[in-house]
Amino acid sequence: MRSMRLLLGLLLGTGVLLGAAGAAPTEAQTPKRGGTLRVSYGNEIANLDFHTAPGYEMMWVAMNVGCGLVNITPDGKFVGDAAESWQVSPDGLLYTFKLKKNVLFHDGMKVDAAAVKFSIDRLMDPATGSGMRTFYESVNSVEAVDPLTVQIRLKHPYAFMLHMLAGYRTGLIIYSPTATQKFSLDDRKQGKPGAVVGCGPFKLIEWVKGSHLVMDRFEKYFEPGLPYLDRVIIRVIKDPVTEMAAFKNGEVDFIASFSPEHVDTMKAQSPRAQIMTGKETTPMLAAMKVTIPKDGKPMSKDRAPHPIFSDIRVRKAVGCYGIDRKEIVKIAFKGQATPWVGIIPPGTMDTVDVNHLCPYDQAKAKALLAEVGYGPQKPLTFELMTNTEKTVFNVIATVIKEQMARIGVTANIRLVDKVTWMAAANQDGPWDMYVEDLLSLLTLDSNAFLSTTGASWNHTRHLDTKVDDYYARYAREMDPIKRKAIAKEFQEFSADKLYWNAISGSPFYMVAQPWVKGYVYNAEFEVHWDKVWLDK
Amino acid sequence: MRTYLLKRLLQIIPTVLGITFVVFVMMRSIPGDPVVALLGDAYTEENAIKARHDYGLDKPILVQYVIWLGKLVQGDWGTSILSGRPVLKDVMVRLPVTLELIFLSMAVALAIAIPAAIIGALRQNTWADYTATSVAMVGVSIPEFFLGVLLLLAFSIGLGGMLPSSGWVYLPGTCQTVVCAASLWGNTQHVLMPALALGVGRAALLTRLLRASMLEVIRTEYVTTARAKGLSERPVILKHALKNALIPTVTVMGLQVGFLIGGAIVVETLFAMPGLGTFGIDAIIARDYQQVQGFALITAFAFVVINLIVDLTYTFLDPRIRYT
Repeated sequence: MRSMRLLLGLLLGTGVLLGAAGAAPTEAQTPKRGGTLRVSYGNEIANLDFHTAPGYEMMWVAMNVGCGLVNITPDGKFVGDAAESWQVSPDGLLYTFKLKKNVLFHDGMKVDAAAVKFSIDRLMDPATGSGMRTFYESVNSVEAVDPLTVQIRLKHPYAFMLHMLAGYRTGLIIYSPTATQKFSLDDRKQGKPGAVVGCGPFKLIEWVKGSHLVMDRFEKYFEPGLPYLDRVIIRVIKDPVTEMAAFKNGEVDFIASFSPEHVDTMKAQSPRAQIMTGKETTPMLAAMKVTIPKDGKPMSKDRAPHPIFSDIRVRKAVGCYGIDRKEIVKIAFKGQATPWVGIIPPGTMDTVDVNHLCPYDQAKAKALLAEVGYGPQKPLTFELMTNTEKTVFNVIATVIKEQMARIGVTANIRLVDKVTWMAAANQDGPWDMYVEDLLSLLTLDSNAFLSTTGASWNHTRHLDTKVDDYYARYAREMDPIKRKAIAKEFQEFSADKLYWNAISGSPFYMVAQPWVKGYVYNAEFEVHWDKVWLDK
Repeated sequence: MRTYLLKRLLQIIPTVLGITFVVFVMMRSIPGDPVVALLGDAYTEENAIKARHDYGLDKPILVQYVIWLGKLVQGDWGTSILSGRPVLKDVMVRLPVTLELIFLSMAVALAIAIPAAIIGALRQNTWADYTATSVAMVGVSIPEFFLGVLLLLAFSIGLGGMLPSSGWVYLPGTCQTVVCAASLWGNTQHVLMPALALGVGRAALLTRLLRASMLEVIRTEYVTTARAKGLSERPVILKHALKNALIPTVTVMGLQVGFLIGGAIVVETLFAMPGLGTFGIDAIIARDYQQVQGFALITAFAFVVINLIVDLTYTFLDPRIRYT
């Protein structure tokens, strides 16, 4: 009996101790230093010249190897990166940034005003061929006032200067002038040792295309104590089944971009997984071509109306009333997206719900088509191009084909690979409608390079300069209330003209193991692993 | 023999060059443009023209081929348009992975095919024969990617992560990168499922072929003579019958290398292996012409060399065969 009591006492005592350990949140939440974060990418990194390489995969490396002036938080606030503070002149034409004193490049050189000037000048130089160049259109000059003060002078007010510096593509990534001049573009692209020099929390150790990318902690990073991780290893796992198996097996800690159609399977397979998502900031499009080259030469300035979709009535019949967006979302996204007509998706700043302008209405669609002359005697047939990059594109194309059949229209699906789609879309090739989700949009302004008349990414090749006026007015208006009003008017105009035909938002998911702590989800815009730590 | 070998080695050069030329022309004939993939959202007409000029893509195809060939004879396999990486360097990093996969897949195929074929031939029309033939039929019918997924579900998910689902651990001494995992045990764990996925289909084919050859050979007079001499069954089958029955199988094994390279593309993608298969398919998808050429060159070379080795193996299997 005595021994029984002793055993009971021991058990209780152990239980109390274990309970105390389990109920010590402050201790459990104290970040632990060390460890390797194993990240999985679904696509290969194109190359490592952060100013020119395409693709989010490169951008997420750039955000951790490089540093910029400012970053943006999920709630839209700006926080200093290499910049300690900043001021905007009352007329909105002069941005003055004070740099932190202790910011170093990975090669030991100081990050100073000259480096910032060098980087922005490089981005603005047409010879660099950066996709960011278009966003610096408002910049007149960059001056290094003193080693820690840099001024950006604008030609005209630009309300999204800080947004652009923080979150358009990579945001501004400051390049080391010394390293940039010492190494060639090919050296930087291939990640040659010493060529990719940033000022971020991690320094590049090695990139072996098709195998791995390794970044190690930069011990002289300007944020004291950060990063917590010793190392980040990125591997490419293209097959989602393999990716889920690797995650379940604990071979991967963090999936940087996870396909929405596998979310339910992931939840069932790994119930403790942290599945992160947020506002939908990427538009899913069913774009319709508006003009074609008159002389048959792609990209010709001499334009002719597209034989089908130049007529606004056909665009409206097909793209507006003929497409049941709710059904597409239900089938293609299993309900995990928002049906959306507006030019910018539901999660983008200043977005407006204009869905009421395009209700699904088969009768109205048929009537409009009949007005143009299409009907059983003269059925409308067009080509619907989709690509193999994401399965969801093909599902959407199939549903659209079915919906078109309901209004007596034949949509012939043409399935191509990503590069063929890009060539056709970017190079003014022959296509009628395509399904794609393009890029994530932080602001309406960031959509300008995809849809103004002069933009090379204006795939539909519309010629309506009113669109350009809207973008210019919106970007230059410094009063947020007035800006919101312009945005609303523009989105209504856009839904009426359908130069840019949205179907829905396109959700974005990231997945992390339960032991991954400290990651702040901010969609594709800001992916930083400096505050991440491993609780294991 | 020496003359024959020299002749065959010389034949390799036009064969490989012919293949690279066909691939060169075909790649440029299909839709798509590497410059589009390179520039991505930085695409403008001006940038595209500049990039095409920088990479020599604005020159006539024949001129481009001659330039590529000129560099090749100097040991320069070109630079990947997309990544800026030297193609030869990437090929050398990835080659050991694919060679190991192909070698082990063939080993898996033979390890299954030889005993199954012998049993099937010696016990013709019994349940053992029917089982071996049926399993072979099923094996031929299952595509690599499907078997790979089944293996993944069974050994990576189903059995609590018994085998790793993806990635690669190098054999000690074969790693050429700065950060690299290398161990014999790790390598075995990583290669097992891919080798099975790729090897089982080949095993099935070889089983059927070898069984048919064995059936023919065990009825020949020299096998009867060997038995009449009082030799036990084991040396009769393994030393006399099998060796001769292997000749058509070895021929097919050589030709199967081509299928294994094709299968490696699928298997390497599924198991996220850093081999030549993923190197090739990534290059084709991105229209990275230089990288595609590198892939075509190395695979064509491997194919013809392996088939040369196969031809030479005949003399070992049947000493009556002489090359002049």
